[in-house]
Amino acid sequence: MSSTTDARPARRLAVTGALTAALTALAVYGVFFVAPEDADQGIIQKIFYFHVAIAIASLVAFGVACIAGIAYLRTRQVRFDEVSSASVAIGLGMSVLVVITGSIWAKASWGTWWVWTDPRLVTFLIVLLLYAAYFVLRSSAEGERRYRYAAIYSVAAFASVPLSFYSVRVARSFVHPVVFTQSGANMPNSMLIWFVVSQVAVLGIFLTVLQLELLQRRADSALRRVKARLEAAA
Amino acid sequence: MSTGAQYVVAAYGVVLFALLVYVVAVGMRTARLAREAELLARLVERAAGEDEEAPVRTPEPADASSASRT
Repeated sequence: MSSTTDARPARRLAVTGALTAALTALAVYGVFFVAPEDADQGIIQKIFYFHVAIAIASLVAFGVACIAGIAYLRTRQVRFDEVSSASVAIGLGMSVLVVITGSIWAKASWGTWWVWTDPRLVTFLIVLLLYAAYFVLRSSAEGERRYRYAAIYSVAAFASVPLSFYSVRVARSFVHPVVFTQSGANMPNSMLIWFVVSQVAVLGIFLTVLQLELLQRRADSALRRVKARLEAAA
Repeated sequence: MSTGAQYVVAAYGVVLFALLVYVVAVGMRTARLAREAELLARLVERAAGEDEEAPVRTPEPADASSASRT
């Protein structure tokens, strides 16, 4: 057994974090100082750049959780459960941000904080509540059963993601706009470029936080193992 | 500041606040890990100290007799 530890995850975290910080600074600069103001909504439309980027990143996080859940069910390796649960936690946090920033945008644009008749808003809330239940389920079981149930749930809950994504395209009556359609983005390139930068920055934030969470869980797990060994020897 | 700008500041403020809360949470978890690591280091040091203070074992009489026969 080697006495040295693997320093690569920490190096990866440093590189991802530095790139993400630079991209986020560039995105904020581009959104507020370069991208043109929307003709209809004015400055309120600036919320779009991070609101939509965080929404897409949260759905990506749930996708990663689903893939890691499948990998756990196939291999029974605990590291996949760690990736899955960390992704769900990050995705859930981002979903809460999407709902809050969306409500602020709705108040500014439509004059109301929430519209219960809009399928996009309601289905996104359903996705959020489904993933909040993931942690209730997780805390209700122990050991291998906990990992297995959580993996199955993360795969099953992912079915709600396409439901939320396509709801606004299928339903007729809605107030939530559809920016990205099959014919392309409904915005000029001068806005689209800064949305893409924002999206990459938010995905970078997801990757950075995911790596940080995994490193902390690894350290926590190692300390618990040493503690158990010392207590057993005493 | 216009009303629209206030909403934009509020939305981005929420995101920034959430990031700050996360940084504080990570800081608190790191502090807990550091405390546990310190505790484990003390336990290991104490265990090592007890090993050093343990009395030196003397040879068994049977071992001594068998050694004299050879």
